[in-house]
Amino acid sequence: MQYQSQAVAKPYFIAAIGLFVGQILFGLIMGLQYVIGDFLFPEIPFNVARMVHTNLLIVWILFGFMGAAYYLVPEESECELYSPKLALLMFWVFLIAGALTILGYLLVPYATLAEMTGNSLLPTMGREFLEQPTITKIGIVIVALAFLFNLGMTMLKGRKTVITLVLFIGLVGLAVFFLFSFFNPDNLVRDKLYWWFVVHLWVEGVWELILGAILAFVLIKTTGVDREVIEKWLYVIIALALITGIIGTGHHFFWIGLPGYWQWWGSIFSALEPLPFFMMTVFAFNMVNQRRRNHPNQAAVLWALGTSVMAFLGAGVWGFMHTLAPVNYYTHGTQITAAHGHMAFYGAYAMIVLTIISYAMPMLRGRKAANSGKSQILEMWSFWLMTVSMVFITLFLTAAGVLQVYTQRYTDNPQPFMAVQERLELFYWMREAAGVVFLIGLIIYIISFFAGSNEPEQA
Amino acid sequence: MNLSRPDNERTSKDAQYLQAATHDRIYPPGDLAIWVFILAELLVFAVFFSAYALTRANNAELFNTCQLTLDANAAFINTLALISSSYFVMRAVAAIREAKTQQCIQWLIAALAMGCVFLIIKSGEYVHHYQAGINLRTNLFYMFYLSLTFFHFMHVIMGMVILTAVTIKTRQGHYSAAEHTGVETGASYWHMVDIIWLILFPLVYIMR
Amino acid sequence: MRAATGTQIFYSIRPCTFVYLTLVVLSLVTWLTGQLGLSGLSISLIVLGLALIKGLLIGDYYMGLRGLTGVWRWAIIVWLVIPGALITWAFIKVQ
Repeated sequence: MQYQSQAVAKPYFIAAIGLFVGQILFGLIMGLQYVIGDFLFPEIPFNVARMVHTNLLIVWILFGFMGAAYYLVPEESECELYSPKLALLMFWVFLIAGALTILGYLLVPYATLAEMTGNSLLPTMGREFLEQPTITKIGIVIVALAFLFNLGMTMLKGRKTVITLVLFIGLVGLAVFFLFSFFNPDNLVRDKLYWWFVVHLWVEGVWELILGAILAFVLIKTTGVDREVIEKWLYVIIALALITGIIGTGHHFFWIGLPGYWQWWGSIFSALEPLPFFMMTVFAFNMVNQRRRNHPNQAAVLWALGTSVMAFLGAGVWGFMHTLAPVNYYTHGTQITAAHGHMAFYGAYAMIVLTIISYAMPMLRGRKAANSGKSQILEMWSFWLMTVSMVFITLFLTAAGVLQVYTQRYTDNPQPFMAVQERLELFYWMREAAGVVFLIGLIIYIISFFAGSNEPEQA
Repeated sequence: MNLSRPDNERTSKDAQYLQAATHDRIYPPGDLAIWVFILAELLVFAVFFSAYALTRANNAELFNTCQLTLDANAAFINTLALISSSYFVMRAVAAIREAKTQQCIQWLIAALAMGCVFLIIKSGEYVHHYQAGINLRTNLFYMFYLSLTFFHFMHVIMGMVILTAVTIKTRQGHYSAAEHTGVETGASYWHMVDIIWLILFPLVYIMR
Repeated sequence: MRAATGTQIFYSIRPCTFVYLTLVVLSLVTWLTGQLGLSGLSISLIVLGLALIKGLLIGDYYMGLRGLTGVWRWAIIVWLVIPGALITWAFIKVQ
């Protein structure tokens, strides 16, 4: 660790991993509820489990992004963080607000939560992924503003690099697009439009900048390839990501009530969204092949390469599969979407956070560059267990989705939703089994932080 | 196709030139990153062109009728403008290879002027359509026509921004006969803008 | 040394000027096709063919792909051939 203030990243990373565990547990509960409908009812009904599963995902990834930024920006800017104290304060604000929100979901009915938090003053609740009470949303905005201020001031006084610039643009975009969650017009079309501005322009727009910047940083550090080369590729990738991602958001617009030309614009541009992800894969493998040294932290290199591949498969290939309008006409909102969502979120955003944690954590915990060999071997095991089980989750959900689309929508004698769900039971069981393997992988991941911690570093 | 040198001796010199003109004989001129970008852009347009043609196949009557409302004369003048500007950009690259910085700048400015001609004429067409009440929602033909040409229009602007940056850097003396990758990079992007229009013009304005 | 450079430039500009004039002539033909109100499958495919030739000239001479060996040599050619084939197919289908 080159700068003392980078240490503020550590609590962010720990919180991220903790919430990640929570997310997986609720995922497993919900996965079981697909086949045993009244499991844990009425304590944790399906809709609550789902809300907690998705909200925890977003929150832990945001923790990861913030931790990554606090670690990466001082090192890139070659100066201490503007205010480590503010960063720590915001950590606690964000953690407590997040915890209270999750507790609210779990302890009181959603409608009561809305009443308690004064949702009627500025109604923003009740929309998928944006279920947070309005005060939580305001809290998120305050945390984000303080965070951006802190980073911005650090960048101003230090060295400006392409990586920090791209990261900062991505984070500003993240904050700006979140503001659309406060628009909640009566017009359902406009409501959905703003909803997609948050949901989609995050994951297929600005988050890709954050992903690209973090990946580029880790690759520079672990491969020793010239910064100039990596930065050039970063430019090309983010330019494509923005063009295809922003216009590609249009693949949702026709279905929510916007004019027909969006079918074409959305289909064509979103069909090209795999391109930047594909380039990211080529880029990552190229850089590792051209490496000037073998970094002792091989686990981090594995995560970086894994991210590029899984992001391409999950976001790129699985997204492309159902993005074209004639296909989406049948597949919208089926298990195909769930399959895509799982692999894309894991492959692109969960894995990039795990990549930067893997790279930074040894230094944050006082090592020179890497964990002991024993720890790294465990971490790589967890990589493979989680990644392979996620591939299987995706494949089972895809199979379920294909069957669902056929029997419920495509065939001449469509069957009702619940009848179809019963026929998907086998796939849901297999998905749940793969989920258990994922949890085992996650447990091994956590063990890897403690195993061999008194042994010397891997050379 | 050999347009210039029929005899063998000269052909080999021609080949020598081309060898010298590219950095080595494997990669195209300019930064490789711009070429990756160019390929991605070309892919978008390839998809758009194909989508146009395939949609037309199901709506031939509509497309043929509406096509007649377009101003093929304006498009032709624009074709000449872009072809000329591409030629000027090529001359600019040739000039900087000979270390003739002033000439390079003049050719670049000439190319930019042609770009402006394109933008003005195309804007005139857009105003005309706007006044006629035509927009993306009018029908499938106009949807494709406006989308394709406007997306290309944005690329002309983008290409002009790049060429302006190259011109400024040339003026500041950043490029020499030995090192002028930046000029070639900008030139490659501009030729791409040109080549797209050369397909777009007959496809949307003429073929029926 | 200086003379050698001069020769190089001589060889680079002349063919490209020919290319330029060819492009102008081909565009003129395309425009005239429209002015004369010519239509139909064969006319359309000829016009498309001219456009593909123009693209090939730009790729080879202006973008400098002509002297290359390896995949980049084919970048523009592939880009012209695949949409060209799709457009041809779509125009044949409609007739």
